Amino acid sequence: MTAAVTAEGISKRYGDTIALEDVSLSVDSGDVFALVGPNGAGKTTLVRTLTGTTMPDAGSVTVLGRSPNQVKKERIGLLPQSFTPPERLSARELLGYYAGLYDDPRPVDDVLTDVGLETTDETWYTNLSGGQQRRVCVGIALINDPDLLFLDEPTTGIDPAGRQSLWSLITDLADDGTTVFLTTHYMEEAEQLADQVALLDSGSLVEVGRPTALIERYGGGTHLRIETEHSLHQIESLGVDVETTETGLRIPDVAPAEIGEIVSRLEAQGIDYETLTWTEPSLEDVYLHLTSETIDEQQPSEPAVNPVGESQ
Amino acid sequence: MTWITRVGAEAGTAWRSFLRRRTAVFFTFGFPLILVGIFGAVVQTNPTGGGLFGHPTGFYVPGYLAIIVLFTPLSRIGSSIARYQEGNRFEKLATTPLNQGEWLAAHTLVNIGIILLASAIVLGVLELVTGGSFSLSPLLLPFIVLAVVVFCGIGALIGRVADSQDGVIAASNAVALPLVFLSETFITPDMLPGWFRPAIGLSPLTYFARGVRNATYLHQSAGSELVVLAVLAVVFFGLGAYAVPQTE
Repeated sequence: MTAAVTAEGISKRYGDTIALEDVSLSVDSGDVFALVGPNGAGKTTLVRTLTGTTMPDAGSVTVLGRSPNQVKKERIGLLPQSFTPPERLSARELLGYYAGLYDDPRPVDDVLTDVGLETTDETWYTNLSGGQQRRVCVGIALINDPDLLFLDEPTTGIDPAGRQSLWSLITDLADDGTTVFLTTHYMEEAEQLADQVALLDSGSLVEVGRPTALIERYGGGTHLRIETEHSLHQIESLGVDVETTETGLRIPDVAPAEIGEIVSRLEAQGIDYETLTWTEPSLEDVYLHLTSETIDEQQPSEPAVNPVGESQ
Repeated sequence: MTWITRVGAEAGTAWRSFLRRRTAVFFTFGFPLILVGIFGAVVQTNPTGGGLFGHPTGFYVPGYLAIIVLFTPLSRIGSSIARYQEGNRFEKLATTPLNQGEWLAAHTLVNIGIILLASAIVLGVLELVTGGSFSLSPLLLPFIVLAVVVFCGIGALIGRVADSQDGVIAASNAVALPLVFLSETFITPDMLPGWFRPAIGLSPLTYFARGVRNATYLHQSAGSELVVLAVLAVVFFGLGAYAVPQTE
């Protein structure tokens, strides 16, 4: 499979602040690639570097086989972070405006249908809900039928229904062969959509891989969380390993088939509980695991630092 | 698809956006009326003993027009750039075929349209108020168009430097107000200190005021002023286009 995007050793500083440090990645054609990280991790700087609106201090980028400023602009779509188009225009007028900037744009009606705005197409942007506004912005990024689509935090600030609708749209685009490079700080979004996930922390890429592979490698096992007033020793008397966490007691490595057995033992011992929650490892566990390792390596004297909180 | 289509798309959007901001429309076209209402009334007193309005109305027509071709493009282009930056619109446009020169051309066209309308209002009201003590000239059109191009270019430079809508307003006022009084619009050079007079030639507005006055009031040749203004239009349009943000 050919690479739609490659970045080799990208570094970018703003004064004393390191925005990107030696970032290298490759995005296969037709993949959905999610760049995950907290606010301030460097996601937007990386998108700007890949789209050619920011020049890196070091490193090289190719987009669709060329440098970002040489690639034909009809082939790229971009939804910048916090993008606001002219507000007193309707969705139809906005799509028509951006369509007018390209040689061979998609029909406006088709894009309105794709983003689910056929019935509100004459409403001014400023009078649309936050989710509808974001869908207009995604529509603008799609108007030139790009081969490569950059979406910088496309679902930030929109409600769950709007988010689901955009996820569905992104999935359809990828199914049709569009390469999608999206940034998000929602781990669930990356896990749902992405073929490849890159975890960015403080300007450095921590890990890149398929979500399932990353979870398998770094996410730990499934576990059963018990909210109870009983002690650790009372639970251990059931004959299982128990860990204490910030939120209660946790029995690690519990397969779904074992849950019934544990519940039976709890009842037999007369141990009552508020809640029992069985959890699979997620990308969030991977991110926390990897970023805490990074920070531990850099700052061995401060083991209690919360990596996500600090980098935000 | 040519650059003309892209400029048309950008200009059409800018024009529509302008018309839908009622306050902007009201003050853009109300400003010339206020201007003529205040100064026109003073001129109407027809003073004879010198002072600020010691000349007939026709002498001040270039001044009224100069205020419009100066203030409107400076503040409008500067504000547009600030607004586009705040909405990350330039980052988006950088990934479209529209380039910086085309963007400025589109917004300059919109300003030309607005300022021609505002100028027509000023001339019409002056005609009503003062009873026609000036003559129209076909040269008014190129003078107004070229002056708008010049000040759109300077507006783009201000927008790039000021970086916010508040900053643009302050900066454009700071640039425009001195130019109004130091460019042979309402104040003649003999009312200024002798040491300052050479600086008058540095203001682009001087060539607009001189040329329009020659064409509409003194009935003299305005060719040299038109040429200077055309050269300045090319220079400032180029600088302005370069200043329009595209990459960080």
